[in-house]
Amino acid sequence: MKKLLCSISTKGRYETTLPLAIQAVINQTRKVDKLVIFDDNDPPKDMRQVQLYQYLFDIMNLKGIEWEWVYAKRLGQHHNHQMANQRGYEWVWRVDDDCMPDITVLETLLSYADHDVGGVGGSILTPPFSPLSGVTGLIEDIDREQNMQWDYINEVREIDHLHCSFIYRAGICDYNLSLSKAAFREETLFTYSLRQRGYKMLVVPNAITWHLKNKEGGVRTEAKEMFDHDDYIFKNFLGLKDNTIVVLDCGMGDHIVFKSILAELKNPVIYSCYPDIVPGGSIQDAINLFGNIDQYNIYKKMDQWNWKGSLQNAFRKLYIGDKI
Amino acid sequence: MKIVIFPWARSMRTESKPHPKNYPWWPELITKLQELGHEVIQAGVKDEVQLVDDFRQNLNITELRELLTSSDTWISVDTFGQHLAWDLGIKGIVIFSQSDPNIFGHPENINMLKSRAYLREKQFWLWEQAEFIEDAFVSPDEVIAKLNANF
Repeated sequence: MKKLLCSISTKGRYETTLPLAIQAVINQTRKVDKLVIFDDNDPPKDMRQVQLYQYLFDIMNLKGIEWEWVYAKRLGQHHNHQMANQRGYEWVWRVDDDCMPDITVLETLLSYADHDVGGVGGSILTPPFSPLSGVTGLIEDIDREQNMQWDYINEVREIDHLHCSFIYRAGICDYNLSLSKAAFREETLFTYSLRQRGYKMLVVPNAITWHLKNKEGGVRTEAKEMFDHDDYIFKNFLGLKDNTIVVLDCGMGDHIVFKSILAELKNPVIYSCYPDIVPGGSIQDAINLFGNIDQYNIYKKMDQWNWKGSLQNAFRKLYIGDKI
Repeated sequence: MKIVIFPWARSMRTESKPHPKNYPWWPELITKLQELGHEVIQAGVKDEVQLVDDFRQNLNITELRELLTSSDTWISVDTFGQHLAWDLGIKGIVIFSQSDPNIFGHPENINMLKSRAYLREKQFWLWEQAEFIEDAFVSPDEVIAKLNANF
């Protein structure tokens, strides 16, 4: 399997921080296997015509860094991250287009990528910098504390969710594509879903990424309604954080096969097409609470996994995980 | 023996072509079963093609379970019936064609696949995207041989 894909999703930052982010990726001590830039600009430009970008592309070619510029569908960065997530790499390093990682960040993050680790992040520092205190990094504290990564990290800590730029184990969980274009909490939902599968989420020292905050670009211009919509979905997931959410949007026979693994699930909350076989709420209930439910479609997942095993084990992989 | 058959897969959204899972030689197989003295009961839904006199239509789950538990065995295409019977621990025969028994079958059953060469490449795509292949199925004589050898 190919090892590591770096993905940058960008919007409104052609002339400000994007070239700095690309340059920082190029200069890493651990070379990325591929860099993909997902361009959400409307309209997008052909940056091969811009001298500065020509230099960056030339350097990548000379260094043997495979790269690709994707004109994305402008559906929001979570759609772009999901494309990266499904490209068949073992790990994805997501770098925001307003971030500039120090040259050893990737090498440091990957040094912690053990078999039971799902994601690793370092410090995300925004100049001018002010230190935090008493931060837990737990999901239940997310509304009353700032993010742990917004400070220097002095020791390895296991937390619930990662923020902004980090590496993650790809192809295990999906990004929630029902979020709006603002994609509020998209990385929180995504990394916490890996955590729920039993993978460790780590923050580690000596991996500083500089966040070059600017008024232009990104998602800050999206409407408040979008943020409210995304927060509603996030809160619905958070309300079931100690449960296994099951959505059986599939056939009767599939329900029977699923039923055989039901006892193995931790605190299942079920939404079912055939409640006479597997009791639960309706599929419409699930859509109302979580938006897009494709991440629970067992057939789409098996297709995505190029699955060769039994349907029963596919349900185990979807709802329990198969890592350890 | 009292044998329940589940002969038809759930109908596709476009019914202009036969379902690739549906066994083309049910009439021949049923004739042979009846000639051997077996009682054959069809389970399915209204508007499906009726193959035997005793056609139990639109049974609910409880009724289907009762039918299966009161029977000696069953024969099915790759459809709901095979899973329900497996859940009840009642062994039977599944006639596959283009779906992979390693994925959709249960090892406790007798899964009859003529050749893996007929398995469709995209196992998880909609059946509307596949074509019916008559040659992909085992013959009625092969089914009878398996039945005689195992029940």
